[in-house]
Amino acid sequence: MTTPQGIVTLDPRDEGSPGPAAVAPRPASLDGKVVGLFSNNKPHSEELLRMIADVIAERYQIKGIVEHNKGGHQWPAQPADLQTLARECDVAIHATAE
Amino acid sequence: MTSDNLTAARLSFQTWEEAQDFYLENGLSDGLPVVPPTPEKVRAMLDYVGLSPDAVVGTETIRGKRFTAEKLAVNAVLAGCLPEYFPAVVATVAAACERPFNLHASSTSTNGVTIMALVSGPYANEIGMNAGVELMGNGNRANATIGRAVNLVKTNFYGSVAGEMDNSTFGHPGKFSFCFAENTAVSPWPPLAEHLGFGAGSSAVTAVAANSPLQVSIYGDKSPQTFLTQTAHAMLSLGPTVSEVVIVISPELMAYIGESGWTRQQVQDFLFRKTHRPLREWVAWKRLDRPGDDADLRQTRGPLAGPDRIIVVPGGGMAGAFIDIISSWGSSRSVTKPIPTPTETRR
Repeated sequence: MTTPQGIVTLDPRDEGSPGPAAVAPRPASLDGKVVGLFSNNKPHSEELLRMIADVIAERYQIKGIVEHNKGGHQWPAQPADLQTLARECDVAIHATAE
Repeated sequence: MTSDNLTAARLSFQTWEEAQDFYLENGLSDGLPVVPPTPEKVRAMLDYVGLSPDAVVGTETIRGKRFTAEKLAVNAVLAGCLPEYFPAVVATVAAACERPFNLHASSTSTNGVTIMALVSGPYANEIGMNAGVELMGNGNRANATIGRAVNLVKTNFYGSVAGEMDNSTFGHPGKFSFCFAENTAVSPWPPLAEHLGFGAGSSAVTAVAANSPLQVSIYGDKSPQTFLTQTAHAMLSLGPTVSEVVIVISPELMAYIGESGWTRQQVQDFLFRKTHRPLREWVAWKRLDRPGDDADLRQTRGPLAGPDRIIVVPGGGMAGAFIDIISSWGSSRSVTKPIPTPTETRR
């Protein structure tokens, strides 16, 4: 169908600007840092995180490792979990696995 | 700001076909042709429900998305909705934005679920929804386009695009559209909306993060114990952890339920109990590999946390002894929101 003046339609997409998002400051080195391992509870996620921690420990003189489990992969991290990680760790790694 | 107060970007085309091609080629469709959303058609949607374009219908907190009435209306026009269908679209999206629905996770999972809309109450009849023959299939504009609109909102606005944010392994046909009405005409029970605490005569839509339906053919005698036992056996295939299920019972079977005087609660309780199996069976079938080191394998476990996790509705055509089982995704819970009927909207 052609109309003399053409046709105007609207955009169905989200045109809002995304909110501010910033990456947390990264330490220059993991030497002397406490590394958190934050599992999402999928099968083998803890094993994967420990393997990564082993590699980190080979490369850096880390101060320690702490482990936490989110309890399930289907929901976001609870604020209490994140606060615990922030309190106990300098950096944290989150990973999934099957 | 334009005179119609609509703020969505305007797209200009010489022809209707050119507009169609734009939406299809830019992934702003489910693959089927769409109705190009002109400002006039979008305005008609908003006017029908009395919402301003910038009214926030719901907010999804993980991605921080604020679903505005205007964007819902644009997608409803794309889907082919009539204005009187728009209240159901608004209510379904609002429900899916509630935290228990877990829209973000369910929209990204390999499990591949859709947003299903189950409408209960007089609204369904007033707008001509199908609760009978082929209620989950094709052929009814209201069913088809309400379900389609909701899923276009999910893909176009929320960004759950196949192969990008949506990594469904299989997906299922309900991702085009999955919307139907409860068949209250054949039901001995109060409508689901009333059962869920909405007032008598009210209408409501229940949004479910729905897997594909599993149809159970019923054989043998038609006592509720018999056909619900067969249903329970099929439910076991869902595995030991299911958040919620919708059970749709055909009118032929509902008649037997009516004759026997079973209540909705009795059906829920029966299915809940009948799907409890000893832990050792789940382990033997490899459906459960970590029951706990000190677990007593003689203890029983069912797929669902309680009878209230089983939503039971009558639906479908008069002929046929069938039950449909629709399971929800992962940890997602259904959410129900009221819908004003056209009669109530006109007041």
